[in-house]
Amino acid sequence: MSEPGQGTVGTYVMVAIVLTLITALEVGVIYIRQLAPIIVPLLLVMAAAKFALVALFFMHLRYDGRVLSSLFVGPLVVAVGLAVALMTLTGAFLVFDR
Amino acid sequence: MINRGEERSSPAPGPAHPRPKPGWRHSLQSWVTTVDHKRIGILYGVSAFVFFLIGGVEALLIRLQLARPDNTVVSAETFNALFTMHGTTMVFLAIMPFSAAFFNYLVPLMIGARDVAFPRLNALSYWIFLAGGLLLHASFLAGTPPDAGWFGYANLTSRQFSPTASIDFWILSLQVLGASSMIAAVNFIVTILNLRAPGMTLMRMPLFVWMTLVVQFLVILAFPPVTVGLIFLMFDRFFGARFYDVAAGGDLHLWQHLFWIFGHPEVYILILPAMGIVSEVLPTFAGKPLFGAPVVIYSGILIGFFGFGVWSHHMFAAGMGPVADAAFSMATMIIAIPTGVKIFNWLATLWGGAIRATTALHFAVGMIGLFTIGGLSGIMHASPPVDLQQTDTYFVVAHLHYVLIGGSLFGLFAGAYYWWPKITGRLLDERLGRWQFWVLFAGFNLAFFPQHYLGAMGMPRRIFTYPAETGWGFWNLVSSIGAFGIAFGVLLFLINAVRSLGRGAPASADPWDGRTLEWRTSSPPPVHNFDAIPTVYGRDTFWREKYGPRREPRAPAPPDPHGVHVPPPSVWPVVTALGVGGAAAGALIHVAVVVGGGLLAVYGVFRFALEHHEHHAHEHQTGTLGVDHRKAAMWTFIGSECLLFGTLIATYMAYRGRSVVGPYPRDVLAVPITTISTFDLLMSSLLMVLALAAVQRGDRVQTRLWLAGTAFCGLIFLGFQAYEFTSFVHEGLTLQQNLFGSTFFVLTGFHGAHVTLGVLWLLALLVLDLRGRLHARDAIKVEIAGLYWHFVDIVWIVIFTLVYLIP
Repeated sequence: MSEPGQGTVGTYVMVAIVLTLITALEVGVIYIRQLAPIIVPLLLVMAAAKFALVALFFMHLRYDGRVLSSLFVGPLVVAVGLAVALMTLTGAFLVFDR
Repeated sequence: MINRGEERSSPAPGPAHPRPKPGWRHSLQSWVTTVDHKRIGILYGVSAFVFFLIGGVEALLIRLQLARPDNTVVSAETFNALFTMHGTTMVFLAIMPFSAAFFNYLVPLMIGARDVAFPRLNALSYWIFLAGGLLLHASFLAGTPPDAGWFGYANLTSRQFSPTASIDFWILSLQVLGASSMIAAVNFIVTILNLRAPGMTLMRMPLFVWMTLVVQFLVILAFPPVTVGLIFLMFDRFFGARFYDVAAGGDLHLWQHLFWIFGHPEVYILILPAMGIVSEVLPTFAGKPLFGAPVVIYSGILIGFFGFGVWSHHMFAAGMGPVADAAFSMATMIIAIPTGVKIFNWLATLWGGAIRATTALHFAVGMIGLFTIGGLSGIMHASPPVDLQQTDTYFVVAHLHYVLIGGSLFGLFAGAYYWWPKITGRLLDERLGRWQFWVLFAGFNLAFFPQHYLGAMGMPRRIFTYPAETGWGFWNLVSSIGAFGIAFGVLLFLINAVRSLGRGAPASADPWDGRTLEWRTSSPPPVHNFDAIPTVYGRDTFWREKYGPRREPRAPAPPDPHGVHVPPPSVWPVVTALGVGGAAAGALIHVAVVVGGGLLAVYGVFRFALEHHEHHAHEHQTGTLGVDHRKAAMWTFIGSECLLFGTLIATYMAYRGRSVVGPYPRDVLAVPITTISTFDLLMSSLLMVLALAAVQRGDRVQTRLWLAGTAFCGLIFLGFQAYEFTSFVHEGLTLQQNLFGSTFFVLTGFHGAHVTLGVLWLLALLVLDLRGRLHARDAIKVEIAGLYWHFVDIVWIVIFTLVYLIP
């Protein structure tokens, strides 16, 4: 049973199971040496998937209007952009020669 | 008859004004406990003017000292304090709150609302602002005013170079002021998006409301980075952390980045309200609609957006390298385009208009001219080679004052003359007003135009004196004479205002033949703003009502079944602000005062939250967007939190591998244990969403079960974190040990603080439920607590990956 425009209890439990599985995968892959060359993007993708699942289902963005999504996604994009710029400018990773 | 916090079943009320009881005590109490947006606007305006006068006196002392070579009016130390306090005061305590005064008074009137979305939060933001301002100025009483510049560059601000409490006053008061701005920004975003009158689409909103909206988004996005920078500085100074310690591998540029990520959007936070005011004043006194209004709106949005991509042009001299310099140079030049568009549209609005040369129009036109000069010198700074010549010279001082006085202050004076009759019910003297304009205009240009020459001649800024041989004496004298001209201009305004309040001519509801909704109600407006919420027909809706093509009048909006609900006064905003201010001041006194202030603030918040918990008027707060105000506010706050945690995480990543001594991450981080706590937090999100589903269907047993389960999971997570922290300390990793320790403890500690707050919130809901006071109609309260909780969860998802898993 759920409010109109929201997920069912079954959906929430399913999301929680998927979150658990991804977390187990995340921890598992860091011990597989063969994955070392792609470990960073792999972990980032899995984290992004978990992030999206919580935001879409538990926070109901999947069911809510675009305005609420914009209030979250807009600042999120700015935050990611600023974080990447800040890391680049402080030399956390070198995109170009200083 | 108006209801304060009580339901009415009668239709819309008549234009009755509540008659205040006589007596100064009642009057004082009514102001202290007011939640009326108009009174709060007046409080902001009066407070800002007092701080403006203080900042002005500081400026006059600076100019007296510099009027002659080798002058000895003040010492070098006093001079440092004067320019620091002048800059900090004018930016945070004068121009920003002047704009806030207009936001508060006018935005609800202009969008056809009875008040802001959260009237008590509005009062809270004012009282916190006042606490921050008083705390900053208490530094004078303590004999240690801040003296490291309004930008507070590291490591001038480190304990080593500023051992007194001067910088502590600055750090703490700026954080308090930042909290005030954040609360106000969330409030105004929700108000503008969700409280518009029927028919008022976004593109029909007045330009001032649009610029207010853009400014509030800038605040929620720009303040978190500088807040993080201030928190780092506070941890360095109070707890011996290493964020800005070069010997420990710290990067002093980090502070500059964090400050200017805020600092440049702050310029637009200061100028966009003035641009909004000018966009209202010009059409009224030109008798024409604003030329290309949609383009002016889009330009304002673009200015705000690009404002986030130009911060490093303040750092060209810091040696960022050619690629970064080129990128920020281009972005800075691009931002001139929407700014130029606005200027041309304003001129086109005047072109061919039936001009009425009122004082407000004088200031608006003056703003266009002076801001254009400041904008042109700004474009010069966009070029790194040119900027390198001008950095830290008086040329930059001239530039920023042309933007912030010529632009912001002239715009704000235009607004003051335009809306004074609406606010006070009396007219200002137009003749005296025009005198004021010309005196201020002449004094301003005399004070600041010569500073371009002084800068070009090589005079550095922030020097307390100079030898006669430099040849800077003449233009400095001219500049100082001009500064006193500005002071005389401000004095004329003060005289005009006092005379108007005492015996000014009464103002009608619409003295200027205005175009927007605020002119549709009496001057000053009644406590409930409008007897019936107006229906909006288009942009400049009031003008259309008066002069537009004849049309069938639309039926007014149906009366609210609950009648007119005017929020009742509340003492809890001021109590909460007292707690916040007390806690901040306590950091300079004793930890017991911090605890006492914190407890008072927490108590105030709880009483605040529960004050109208059972009131029916608070059950449904669905607005224009079809969304509850509280939910929209929580999402806005979460958006802002993205910037806070984004900055904390970016700093952790920027400092990875920079620690010069161990322990290093690989020595202490334990993935298996943290995996368990991560799993625990993820499952808490499931329980939270189950609690929401339970409360929505009125299942009280399951509501209790899942709320308690979520809080319990949160406590388990905190237990894991406490275990992790203590084991790290035993292994030699402390906040003071190295950069890893500083960044790790602050990042995860802030997350833990959020979890703690979430647990307290959940427990409060649980107590409400146990007392039978949490029903299905209160599901929104669980939903917004859940949003916060889930956000804390997704932040941990990112931290777990970036801190623990990525090698």
